[in-house]
Amino acid sequence: MASPGTSEPECSLYEELPDERMEHNRRLAVEELLATEASYVHNLQLCMWDIRAHLQQKQLPDLDLEGLFSNTDDILHVSRRFLEGLKATADQESEQLLFICALFQEFKEEMQTVYKIYCASYEHALMLVPNAGATDLSFFLVMPVQRVTKYPLLLQKILENTPASASAYPALRSALSAMAEVNANINEYKRRKDVATKYNKAEHLTLRDRLARLNTHSIAKKTTRLSRLFMHETGIAAKTEDKEYDDLEEKFQCVASSITALKENMGSYVKHLEALMLSTPHKHELQMDEGVAQQYRRFAECLHRFGAVVPQRQRLDRLVCQPLSSLSDMLVGPQQLVKKRLDKLLDYEEIQERKSELGNVTYDEEAAMNTYLAINALLVAELPRFNQVAVQLLGQILGSFAVLQRDLAARVLQEGLSSQMPHSHMPLPSFWKLMEDTVQQSGAQLHTFCQKFETVTPSPVSQPLNPAEERKVLSLVSRHGPDKLYQVTSNISGSRDLDLTLQRGQIVALLQSMDTKGNTSRWLVDAGGPRGFVPAAKLQPYCPVQTQQPRVQVPAPECGTERRRHSYAPPEAPRPQVSTFAPAFQVVAGFSFAARSPQEVSVQAGQPVLVLEPHDKKGSKEWSLVDVNGQKGYVPSSYLVTVPVEKPLGWSLPV
Amino acid sequence: MSWIPFKIGQPKKQIVPKTVERDFEREYGKLQQLEEQTKKLQKDMKKSTDADLAMSKSAVKISSDLLSNPLCEQDAAFLEMVTAFDTAMRRMDSFNQEKVNQIQKTVIEPLKKFSSVFPSLNVAVKRREQTLQDYRRLQAKVEKYEEKERTGPVLAKLHQAREELRPVRDDFEAKNKQLLEEMPKFYSSRIDYFKPSFESLVRAQVGYYTELHKIFGELAARVAEPRPGDEQRERQHDARLAELRALSIVADD
Repeated sequence: MASPGTSEPECSLYEELPDERMEHNRRLAVEELLATEASYVHNLQLCMWDIRAHLQQKQLPDLDLEGLFSNTDDILHVSRRFLEGLKATADQESEQLLFICALFQEFKEEMQTVYKIYCASYEHALMLVPNAGATDLSFFLVMPVQRVTKYPLLLQKILENTPASASAYPALRSALSAMAEVNANINEYKRRKDVATKYNKAEHLTLRDRLARLNTHSIAKKTTRLSRLFMHETGIAAKTEDKEYDDLEEKFQCVASSITALKENMGSYVKHLEALMLSTPHKHELQMDEGVAQQYRRFAECLHRFGAVVPQRQRLDRLVCQPLSSLSDMLVGPQQLVKKRLDKLLDYEEIQERKSELGNVTYDEEAAMNTYLAINALLVAELPRFNQVAVQLLGQILGSFAVLQRDLAARVLQEGLSSQMPHSHMPLPSFWKLMEDTVQQSGAQLHTFCQKFETVTPSPVSQPLNPAEERKVLSLVSRHGPDKLYQVTSNISGSRDLDLTLQRGQIVALLQSMDTKGNTSRWLVDAGGPRGFVPAAKLQPYCPVQTQQPRVQVPAPECGTERRRHSYAPPEAPRPQVSTFAPAFQVVAGFSFAARSPQEVSVQAGQPVLVLEPHDKKGSKEWSLVDVNGQKGYVPSSYLVTVPVEKPLGWSLPV
Repeated sequence: MSWIPFKIGQPKKQIVPKTVERDFEREYGKLQQLEEQTKKLQKDMKKSTDADLAMSKSAVKISSDLLSNPLCEQDAAFLEMVTAFDTAMRRMDSFNQEKVNQIQKTVIEPLKKFSSVFPSLNVAVKRREQTLQDYRRLQAKVEKYEEKERTGPVLAKLHQAREELRPVRDDFEAKNKQLLEEMPKFYSSRIDYFKPSFESLVRAQVGYYTELHKIFGELAARVAEPRPGDEQRERQHDARLAELRALSIVADD
């Protein structure tokens, strides 16, 4: 039927055509909707079942099927159901439009979810097409993108051909705006995803790369930003305050720092744990195989097994260290975006200013502004979730750590309590008291051993001094005094310049008890002619013999016997009697000594003295502070001898 | 005996019977080995206790660093958990310190004291050796004179040499006997000596781990879900991680 009004101006899209015409067009539009949907679904199926299967069979090495097809089968599912729904409405004659609108409303959420993923990864998929080597692939891949944008257009067509008075008119309009919204959301999602992917990776550029990136454009950009920042700091330009974002960012930074701190500290804890496991004192045997030692070794090995390699360490790794490490890696994206946002904000403010001055901005500048808005929106949308989940995960990780410690303790106890050590049922305080007492007693016993070994005395060189040596000794005595004589206990061979070479048994006189560098283990001595340095360890004090020659040899073995007698006594007696040793001795002056300074005191040979301090103020053991008949002063330690009170001898152990 | 440089003053007859010498060397050898092992054990125990202390300190650092993070001010639940953690770690550290002190007193110090006997022993053995040398020298001298013609001066010298020899021989015999008696005694004393040390080691660890179990049992009950096994925990962690990965702001790699 020809329409008379074809010459009317087409300013309004919703021009009212005659009813019949409209109805005809409307029906065509609805049919188009159904038909195109059917063919769309058919093509999708073809794509998935034939093409994809074919490609899978081909087994090309670099083929990323996931990347190519992304969630095409989800789209297929949704579209099939949608198609079923559409076909069902065909039966509803008059109400068909209403049902179609209802269907759109029902499906819009699902469609948005499914299509946004597909569209966001569409470009990436396109890049993979050449690898696949299938010629029609791009033709098929673009279909979902086209389809979702077609829905609003199809709805539009139906709407145009529906009179405003029709019952379905409002429903149509809301369906149309719903699908338009879906498309807008898909676009926004895509933009945010693009922005995120572009900026969320940390760039590891070398210095050279950075330098290569410098060009006038980038330098200009950075300078502008810097100046803007400066203006912010100095208050010249107002900072865009965004409290919501700032709070979010602050919380994010706290979360990030706690994750980093935890990761670091956990790392050092694990290191120390491993160091602990490396030291294995229980492996040293002390040649004891039975009894308590054996049980201890078993216990310690169990301790190691639990704490170290297999169970505990692995669990620690899986439940604590790895999640922590993954969490820490995830910080990078948001951190980068936060940084970029600040840069883009500065750009945005620049452009904003210019816009308000000029009224218009270039396409690029508009794009830059949009980037900032996208990043900002993205962060505001996703940071809260990030913070929340990250804190949750932190809590979970800490919880796992606590559980691991508890379990470790439980296993150790299981082993320890079954090890049946003696006294294992004693309550702790009395156990420690017992241990300490035992240790003290053992210590006293050791002391006995020590003394026994020490009393294997040095035999004074029994070789009689030959006359030449005798004369030398006399001359040394007359020159330096009897207190300075020392006997060489073992052969000395001098290695350095001023060192002397002496035989064992030779007598020397001490000149200085340290060498030119202050080393007190090298002494300057007079060997009766040559003078030089000898090691102090090889000298022992020598008392010039005051009796006849044959007597020299006798006192030594006798004293030895006596001392041996003393040292044999204690083993027979039980341990506590050790302490009766000390009081049996008395210190007397072995030789007369004339004080040469106010700090020293004179003594006569044989005078009993009381030793106040066996060393002088500087700690040198050569002088002792003694009390003699009430007078206090220093005498050379070598002048003092200790005599047993029961049998005072002329001389026995030199002090 | 082969390390003695071959001097002229070597006696012709073997003055110390081989069996005696062998016994002596065997006993002394055992003690030398014991000395080495004691030293090694001392070093290792020291390393072990140092590592133990360091580990405990680093555990405390974990919780105290978290506590000082401003996140605690913002998130009350987090603060509560971290405080509980911190308390637990500090208590664990103090128990550990106590344990180390006990080990110090009952193991490391006795070890040191035991080691300190060895220097005296070594000196005593050296002195015996010196005496043996003297003994040999004088014995050789006596033998030398014995082989000469029996003239007057020779006889006098022989007599004198014999006089010199006697005390030295007695001295040596005495030293030898003493050491041969004491060394095995000392060696076997180690078993009883170290018994309390081993006991203490186990007991100290048991005591420490009992406390540890209590402390962390309480803590785990508060901050972690009680029953699930490792897989479940791991899955929980993975779920959180997957949630995070789903966000666009997190980079995929």
